[in-house]
Amino acid sequence: MRALVARRLLQAAVIVAIAATTTFLLVQLAPGDPLGDLVENPRVPLEVRERLRARWGLDRPMHEQYVLYVRNLARGDLGWSFSQNRPVADAVIDALPNTLLLMGVALIGAFALGMTAGVIRAGRRGSMADRALGAGTLVFYSMPDFWLAIMAMLVFAYWVPVFPTSGMTTAVLYDYLSPAGKLIDRLKHLVLPATTLVLLLAAIIARYQRAAFLDVATQDFVRTARAKGLTERAVLWRHVLRNALLPVITLLGLSLPMLVGGSVFIEQVFAWPGMGRLAVGAIAARDHALVMAVVLMGSGLVTLGSLLADLLYVVADPRLRLHSPTSG
Amino acid sequence: MLSRLLPVLALSAIVGCGAPDRSDADAGGTVIMTVGAEPDAILPLTTTSIAGNQVADILFERLAEPGDSMNTRGDGGFEPELAESWTWAPDSLSIAFKLHPGAKWHDGKPVTARDVAFSFDIHKDPEVGSPVAPLLARIDSVTARDSLTAVVWYRQRYPEQFLDAAFQVRIHPEHWLGKIKRSEYTTSPDVRSPIGSGRFKFARWEPGTLVEVVANTEHYRGRPKLDRILWSIAPEFNAAAARLFSGEADYLEYLRPENVEEIKKHSELTMTRYGSLDYGFMWFNLRDPRNNARPHPIFGDVGVRRALSMAVDREKAVKNVLGDLGYVSVGPLPRAHLYGDTTLKTPGYDLEGAKRLLDSLGWRDANGDGIREKGGRQLRFSLAAPTSSQTRMRFSVVLQAMLRDVGARVELDHMEIRAFQELLVRKRWDAAMQTWRTDPTPSSIIQTWGIASVKDGVNFGSYQNPVFDAYIDSAATTMDPARAQSYYRRAYETIIADAPAVWVFEPVNAAGHHTRIKVAPMRPDAWWTRIHEWYIPRNERIPRDNIGLRAATP
Repeated sequence: MRALVARRLLQAAVIVAIAATTTFLLVQLAPGDPLGDLVENPRVPLEVRERLRARWGLDRPMHEQYVLYVRNLARGDLGWSFSQNRPVADAVIDALPNTLLLMGVALIGAFALGMTAGVIRAGRRGSMADRALGAGTLVFYSMPDFWLAIMAMLVFAYWVPVFPTSGMTTAVLYDYLSPAGKLIDRLKHLVLPATTLVLLLAAIIARYQRAAFLDVATQDFVRTARAKGLTERAVLWRHVLRNALLPVITLLGLSLPMLVGGSVFIEQVFAWPGMGRLAVGAIAARDHALVMAVVLMGSGLVTLGSLLADLLYVVADPRLRLHSPTSG
Repeated sequence: MLSRLLPVLALSAIVGCGAPDRSDADAGGTVIMTVGAEPDAILPLTTTSIAGNQVADILFERLAEPGDSMNTRGDGGFEPELAESWTWAPDSLSIAFKLHPGAKWHDGKPVTARDVAFSFDIHKDPEVGSPVAPLLARIDSVTARDSLTAVVWYRQRYPEQFLDAAFQVRIHPEHWLGKIKRSEYTTSPDVRSPIGSGRFKFARWEPGTLVEVVANTEHYRGRPKLDRILWSIAPEFNAAAARLFSGEADYLEYLRPENVEEIKKHSELTMTRYGSLDYGFMWFNLRDPRNNARPHPIFGDVGVRRALSMAVDREKAVKNVLGDLGYVSVGPLPRAHLYGDTTLKTPGYDLEGAKRLLDSLGWRDANGDGIREKGGRQLRFSLAAPTSSQTRMRFSVVLQAMLRDVGARVELDHMEIRAFQELLVRKRWDAAMQTWRTDPTPSSIIQTWGIASVKDGVNFGSYQNPVFDAYIDSAATTMDPARAQSYYRRAYETIIADAPAVWVFEPVNAAGHHTRIKVAPMRPDAWWTRIHEWYIPRNERIPRDNIGLRAATP
């Protein structure tokens, strides 16, 4: 197990390094000047722009900028965000917990909802419920995330204003609420962005879960369980569902990239001050250091999520432990 | 939520607001601005963004303000701010500003003449790199005659010398900023919570979320009528607008035409129009995008440029895109500007005349495909517009259709804003939809259309006419206002005749806001100038208006 973890951590580090280097190249080669707004500002003279360019190292050749970046990174310095005029680390520290909160809630909600829907569909295969849930999951599966977010805002924050349109808290009043009031206020702000992510992800999970459930239900050991005289409920819960959960664990790893990607749009639409919004702002501003930090965090999160899913799979499936070269 | 708030609000009514004197009796209330952009910095010295300047202007003060006249020549119309009076030297080579004796920084220390001298010094220091520095080139030095008298010394007399001293520099406290290394004015964490002298003082800045300022009740000219202003940041325009319509915010500074109808459906919202110093145009690149040493194969000919201008029905285009929120442009100076001149003749819509002109220049549709040709080259060009501006993108589509009627094929090139900016800078474009915001200083037009700005400035279309430059230079240096006006008019006539662009539109600014907020008249260059006069009648206040001045307890 330790060797597996070490090997996967090494792979994760390589993947993050490749992602970061590729991003660095893409950002450098993309059209657009980080000082574009100043270039278009007639009041800002050339010498001021050149001084700023030198200050941020933007006047150096690309390979020098890369070497400098890697050297600083090795020292734990993520650099300076010139679009936010503060250290990149500060911007990330502010944004990361907000994204983790949104993603965490979305992940839990999506798996709970998706697995339930998948089991109901498989358990009542061909029924009205199966068909209705199938249609529902297909709709959300094929819906663009930003569109669903805008629709959710339009309906539940504008036409029927039961939830706030955007942000994490109510401006001004939040600071004067009681602790319970603050919690309720945060939850109300969380509902629309989290629900949007939940619906999108749950649609995929439900389809996976249904397929896995039906696959397991035809296995010999299920027939044996029935032959032993177990009730249908016991067969489904103890034998089918437990085994049908295994492929869904794989989805945990696969859903992280989707959540990271989806949260970019969702955070932008709902003005959620997280990593996704930070990424959009950084890319728009050609803020290289900030873009790199967001990619490092995102790719790190995704590779760690995949590693976690692999480990869970090993823990959940004794056959993998048995065949593992380190098991004995 | 309201029930949980009531004890807090009741408490604030008793304790938070303190015991206001008679003049403060009606003070109170909160205005939440919903904004799309976050400030880059809020220290006036270093900010280059509009969002940053907005907050900086509210926290800091100048020696004097141009007032509603927006006059920039001499000191006529200027209203005292930190300086309560000023005296010109007989030779006009120095001006002594007498500071208001009651002026204090937000930390309670007095504002002194040394602060004024320090402020000019840091603005001129190349190490700081303030964007204001070039405007102060003709100021030799600033000295402190006594603790309340600052003297500005000039290298020469010029019409806008008072403006440069009184307006271009916002006064910074030496006792606070002097402790920070000058090379760290953009990077020091301290400059994110600045100490100013304005009617509002800094409360907090939560990056990506909000900026908050609260009333300075000790201000020497009286406290502002509002308790607090909060900029609530939502980078996506629709999210920002939704906050206004849902009641989560009170004020949106720029409405889009489609929001105007929406506002009418909300009885609790209203709209305040104010002038704009922006003008929008279809810009011609006068140099060949493939080889800037050569003139553009189409737009190098002034006749073609004039013909294309005549082929655009600008009235119709403006009505179509901006509705009531726009005017037809009168050239490179908007009508809200002090020197804006609506009597200037820009090319009117004359499709048949445009066709005849193109015919006479040899651009004819010989093969009947609807596109004119000359010497084997089609009258075909790209029109770039940034996706960040819905207005410019819409105008590009309308202009494309209009120019088709005259036999020109326009290929739209909509792109992300940074790519658009790079395209302009590299001069690899044919035509582009652009807007400029004019400076209140009329001579600043030289920065956008003058010859010197072709190489290092923003004159990306490479328009060059020494006659235009000479008129602007004469207007900027003559001390006689009537002659200056006459020179400016001739300069505008010259550039309009040269047609380096189709002068298309001027937006009319319209702010959407809650009806309970009674706003003061808004100046086109800075709608927030009189924000300290905004108020909310006591009987119209909502819960967030009654929090008082208590600091937030996160």
